[in-house]
Order: sequence, then C-alpha cells, then structure tokens
Amino acid sequence: MTFTRRAALALLTAATLAAPLAAATPDEIKSKGSVNVGMLVDFPPFGIMDASGKPDGYDADVAKLLADDLGVTLNIVPVTGPNRIPYLLSGQVDLLVASLGITPERAERVDFSEPYAGIAIAVYGLTDVDLSAPEKLAGHTIGVTRASTQDSAVTAVAPDGATIQRFDDDASAVQALLSGQVEAIGVSNIIINQIEQVAPGRFDVKFDLSQQKQGIAVPPGSDALLAEINAFLEKIKADGKLNEIHEKWLGSPLPDFVSATN
Amino acid sequence: MYAFNFAPVFAAMDQLLVGAWMTVKLSAAAMAIGLVVSVVCALAKTSGPRPLRWLVDAYVEAIRNTPFLVQIFFLYFGLPTIGVRLDPNSAALLALVVNFGAYGTEIIRAGIESIHRGQIEAGTALGLSRLQVFRYVVMKPALRTVYPALTSQFIYLMLTSSVVSVISATDLAAAGNDLQSKTFASFEVYLVVTGIYLALAVGFSAIFAAIERAVFTYPLSR
Repeated sequence: MTFTRRAALALLTAATLAAPLAAATPDEIKSKGSVNVGMLVDFPPFGIMDASGKPDGYDADVAKLLADDLGVTLNIVPVTGPNRIPYLLSGQVDLLVASLGITPERAERVDFSEPYAGIAIAVYGLTDVDLSAPEKLAGHTIGVTRASTQDSAVTAVAPDGATIQRFDDDASAVQALLSGQVEAIGVSNIIINQIEQVAPGRFDVKFDLSQQKQGIAVPPGSDALLAEINAFLEKIKADGKLNEIHEKWLGSPLPDFVSATN
Repeated sequence: MYAFNFAPVFAAMDQLLVGAWMTVKLSAAAMAIGLVVSVVCALAKTSGPRPLRWLVDAYVEAIRNTPFLVQIFFLYFGLPTIGVRLDPNSAALLALVVNFGAYGTEIIRAGIESIHRGQIEAGTALGLSRLQVFRYVVMKPALRTVYPALTSQFIYLMLTSSVVSVISATDLAAAGNDLQSKTFASFEVYLVVTGIYLALAVGFSAIFAAIERAVFTYPLSR
C-alpha cells in the first residue's frame, strides 16, 4: 500500500517535471521535417473536415502554404475552441492556425502573428424580439460559445438581468437558437450566412459587437518562428494568394482591416 | 518546468464553489428521484403486467445502450420541437434521472430477485400485511444486498453530471471551463476542479456509509 502510493506519487512528479513547454524554433521544425499545426475542424469555412475526413478550409489552406514555405510536411492536429491554447502551451502543437482572434488577454499567454483572416461578430436573434442595443438584453437569454471572442464581448456589454448561456461549441449555440432555447446568440457573420440558408427571415442582426482579426499563434518566446511566419504572411498578402483563399472559402475579397499591415 | 500559478484560480474560488454546490444539488436530487424511478420500474419489471414489463425493458435498454451525451442533447435540443422547453439545469436534472433510472432499475431488480420465495411466504405466514411484506421482507433485504452496487452507481451519476455543461448548465465542470477560458490556467483550474470532485465523491461515500450503518445493519434498531 505504502509502496504503491509512493510509486504513484513519483510517477505523478515525473510526469509534471517532464511536461514539455519548449517553443520550437524554425530550425528545429525544419530538421524535424514536419510541423504540428493546431486547427479547428468545427468552424466552417475556416476549419472543416472534407468528404474524406481530412481537415480542410481557409485555415488548412493557409497552413499548407506555410508548411510549403517552411519546406516541411504538414501535420494538422484537430483542436477545439476551449482547448486550443492549452494544446499550444503544452507543446502538443508547434503553432495554431485555429481562427484564434487576437485579444489582449490571449496575447498575455501566446504570441500572435500579423492577422491572416478576420471576421465581424454581432448579436443575432429572433426577428420579433427588440434587442437593438445592449441594454435591451436584460430579461433575455443569449447563447455564446464558451471562451470565444463573442463570449467576452457579450459578457462585457450585457446588463444585469441578461442570462448568458455558454455552450462548448458553435454548433450547440446555433442549435440552441434554432430550437428556441435562447432568443439570440453572439455569432460571426460567416455563421449568420449559414443560418440564413437554413432559416431565412427568422432571425436578424441586432447590433455589432466587434471586428475580429485572427492571427497565427505561437508559444511565448518563439521570436524566430514568429518572424518567419510574419514574413510568410506579408508575402502571401502581396502576391494575392491569401486573397485567393479568401475568395475560395468566403466568396469575397480579403477585407481591408486584415490585409493592412500595421 | 511548468510555472504553477494558482492565484487566479483561488481568486475565483467562489465561482467554483457555486458550481460545486450546483453539482451537489443536481446529483442529490437526481439520486433521490432516480432511486424512486428505479424502485418503481424494478417492481413493474418483476411483478407488473406483461405490457408494463415490455415498456420498462424498452426504457432500460434504450437508455443503457445509448450515450449520455446524446440523451442530454435529445432532451435539451430535441424536446423544444414538440413544445417542451426546459431551462438548462432542469434538462440536466431530467437527463440524469432518466439515465440513472435505467441502471438503478437493473440493480434493484437483481436485489428483488435475490429474495427467496420462501422468505416472502414466511412473512405472510407470520401475519404481515402485503405492504409490510414488501417493506421489511422484500425491499429492505434487497436494497441491503445491492447497496454497494447502488452507491457506486450514485457516485458514477455525480461524476457523469460533469457532462451537463454541454447544454450550458452551470455545474462545477462548467464553472471550471469558464474559469479556464478566462485565465488559460488549464492545469491549475482542472487540478483544483479534480480535487473538488474527489472531495465530493468522498463526501457522498461517507454519507452512504453512514446510511448503511443506520438503516441496513442487523439486528434492526427499530
């Protein structure tokens, strides 16, 4: 009994000490010959699974170009909204091309590249409910995806008396809206387009929350890798390849607030 | 070496405790209601009319052969289609009761079937009423026999309740997920959440052991 407990404790300590947190350098990735990229696969059109079950979408196309640019093979690791930063910080992926919105809170934990994509988010709900301003959310239920940018945005503007329901993924939040469990959701323009296709006219945009820029994220202290990624982004913005990807997946040119280099 | 930082977790300890309290309430209510469902279904299955037995069989098999996650999605996202709209915590409670009821039915049925026919006849011969026979000759020894299986299923119910955050119920796991998403201190948050679940399970076990000593120890004190 004592032995077992001691052995378990030793094992636990060893596991804790061995937890990897080394940020990979471009040279390490190149000598390894492959790059592990964390990507959402439940966030169309940025991250999806194609008909053969392989990750596809805007993020996958950007990740493929990046891997080509680094001259290594691409290994996509599917992640979810809540677990993507833990995946990066625990070293299970080298970088994230996971539609990660650039926010000050996240920038404290990870380092962001220049934006490679952007989306606008808004409160979107039942047409016959008046939610034209944040104050009017009092007494209503709003669904958001836990840990998402719209979660922080809605939480910041919602008055006391508004009920915010947090779901684990976008699909559940949208399902809650469609099934009438919530009256509105905080959601991106891309998903709004998809909802309009299945339920035209039932909902409309109430008010805008923010425009969000998405960056490629690396663990803190990966300056060399980040410099290489930024050079890569500048190149594909200049030669129109990123614009092509945007046209392919979103049916519109790359928005100015993304293409501008700051 | 990972640098632990528990400060943001302890600063938000009240949120975790509110979540833990919801987990306790949800679990305790689901245990109590689920036990009643189990006893009723087990009785229907062992001594009810044939159509009722089939109905209970269908319920037990349907629940035991489908994932809890799907069941809770069905209750929360599916029922509004036919006009039944439950708030997340009520839907969570209903899902836990329905789920536990199926497992509990089988456990209690096993207990009832362990009672020898002669024992019931002896009870009747001693002049006990039907209700007395049911209470003292069938149910009490049956529950006593399956008590360990029943309590481990109760603990399992409490642990399974961590799934209910998927329909935005506000239990301990949801509080942990919320805190993790704000602090990004996933290791610290889940270490503390794990500790709270462990403490809850140990606490429930202690209560179950006390109930066993008080109610199921022979010779009976009353």
